[in-house]
Amino acid sequence: MANGMIATRFAMAVNIGLVVIVGVWHLGLDTLLMLRGWQEYEPRAAAAGSWLALAVIQTVGSILLLRSALGGPIARWLAGASLVTGVVATATYPAGGMISEVSWAWNTVGWFGVLLLMQRPLWELVVLLAANTAVTVGFLVADGALDQVMLSRLLAVTHTTAGVQLTFAYLARQLNDGAREATETAAGQAERLARATADETVHAERRRRYEYLRSRVEPLLRGLAERQLDPGDTVVRHRAAVEAARLRRLFVETDDTPHPLLHELRACADVAERRGVRVTLLSYGDLPDLPTSARGELAEGALLVLAAAATQARVTVVTTPEDVVVSVVADAPPETLVESPGQLTVSAVYDQEEDQLWWETRWPVRPAP
Amino acid sequence: MVGNPMARTTGPLTVAIVDDHPVVIEGIQTWLSEEPRISVGHTGEDADVEPGVADVLVLDLNLHGRLVIGDIATLAAAGQRVIAFSQFTEQRVVLEALEAGACEFVAKNEGRAHLVNAVLAAAGDRPYVTPTAAGVLVGDRGASRPKLSSQERTALLWWFQSMSKASVARRMGVSVHTVDVYIRRARVKYAQVGRTAPTKADMLARAIEDGLVKPDDITGYESAAVGVG
Repeated sequence: MANGMIATRFAMAVNIGLVVIVGVWHLGLDTLLMLRGWQEYEPRAAAAGSWLALAVIQTVGSILLLRSALGGPIARWLAGASLVTGVVATATYPAGGMISEVSWAWNTVGWFGVLLLMQRPLWELVVLLAANTAVTVGFLVADGALDQVMLSRLLAVTHTTAGVQLTFAYLARQLNDGAREATETAAGQAERLARATADETVHAERRRRYEYLRSRVEPLLRGLAERQLDPGDTVVRHRAAVEAARLRRLFVETDDTPHPLLHELRACADVAERRGVRVTLLSYGDLPDLPTSARGELAEGALLVLAAAATQARVTVVTTPEDVVVSVVADAPPETLVESPGQLTVSAVYDQEEDQLWWETRWPVRPAP
Repeated sequence: MVGNPMARTTGPLTVAIVDDHPVVIEGIQTWLSEEPRISVGHTGEDADVEPGVADVLVLDLNLHGRLVIGDIATLAAAGQRVIAFSQFTEQRVVLEALEAGACEFVAKNEGRAHLVNAVLAAAGDRPYVTPTAAGVLVGDRGASRPKLSSQERTALLWWFQSMSKASVARRMGVSVHTVDVYIRRARVKYAQVGRTAPTKADMLARAIEDGLVKPDDITGYESAAVGVG
């Protein structure tokens, strides 16, 4: 759906940004911190292992996120795994080094939470960030290092890690919602516009029919009522017959937004009626969408035969399961027989006994086998 | 079976007319009066008639602004032969009327000959398809439509286009009688689909009797695909 396209692309941009941030954070900053303080970790294998485990979690999580395949259970599972890995990493810090130049896991696990739980309800991220903070606090308490100075440092760092991460997640969420809302508003406006256009078309169609009645039928009826026209007069009778046919045709036109093919055929019928030809136009079966060229070809022959009709014409459109068939039977001269204007199957016969031209063209609904 | 059994051959038959415009009732009476076998009994403005009121009921589909397709179903279920007579020629309306059990559909602008033929055919439980009905049937893309043979489809389509069975016969290179057989056989196939009604059963029975279809063909729409010729 084009509807959610902008919102989807916007969310994708946020996700890519997040993946880059977390990537730079772990692969860049954490690596630098670890290399610089390498001698102080104990045991080093656990420190390196937790770094590696987080790198794996990060890669898996990033790929899933970018492929929109990060489901709830797997996101929570990965977030839990990164929290546990954070505990292992923190355990390798030197005594009292929970918040120091060698500590790296706290902040990293928090960003992992943002990455993994972005699509989840906000409370899940809050729980993870709280648990992540609790890990550091727990180690500080266990080490007996939580003095006044450490407490103020802890508060400051909590602010710059969990606080920043939560704010980031919250803002990204707001932006996503905003983008979705904007898309919905735009889609709503487009729909209203489409409806207004449709209404206008309907209105124009109704006006067209009303105009016919006003310009052609009304003078005839008035003439008859005021005895200015003689019902016995052949010319008047012919005019009445033509207008009756036209009225019948208008009554059948119950569709307010006609199919383009019917629209074209009706226009042809109108022209013939102005010349005094009695036109019947009937259509059965739901017309499918037609390529413009096919529509043109289907209407072309009908137009030529209608233009040559002397006094009457019957135009039919039938949509069968196999094809769309347009036909005109009219008292047109045999030399009207039209050449096929294109690829479609055209058949035209002049029926001498009925003294009329019978023209038909077909457009296959399904491509020929 | 309701009605005078004699009507199934060429004896006299009674017709009831229901229309909400007196001028139409009078018009139909005039049309039918030219056919000596037909006598008009009941006339009225309401579809609320007793089944068996006449051999054939000519019923306007729109009475006082209401489509009376439901009444057709009730009447057909009681065995009353009904001809739907209407200026509404929308495909859906025609198909629903036939599905409800109407013997024929005749559009009001199709004229005297078609109505008289339809009445005579209906009285004998025989199918009669007007050009309008032919267009509706051949343009039917509904899921439960019966499978028609290509000759039946062509005959229906060309009958709708030209309104002349002689023209269709010349164009198809067969006799007028054969064209008529194709058209009637297509109509009979429609009596096999959808809900059952005594009027449909009578039409099927008569079609078998006349040799229009074989009893084997009457096996429901799934396998009613056999086209002859």
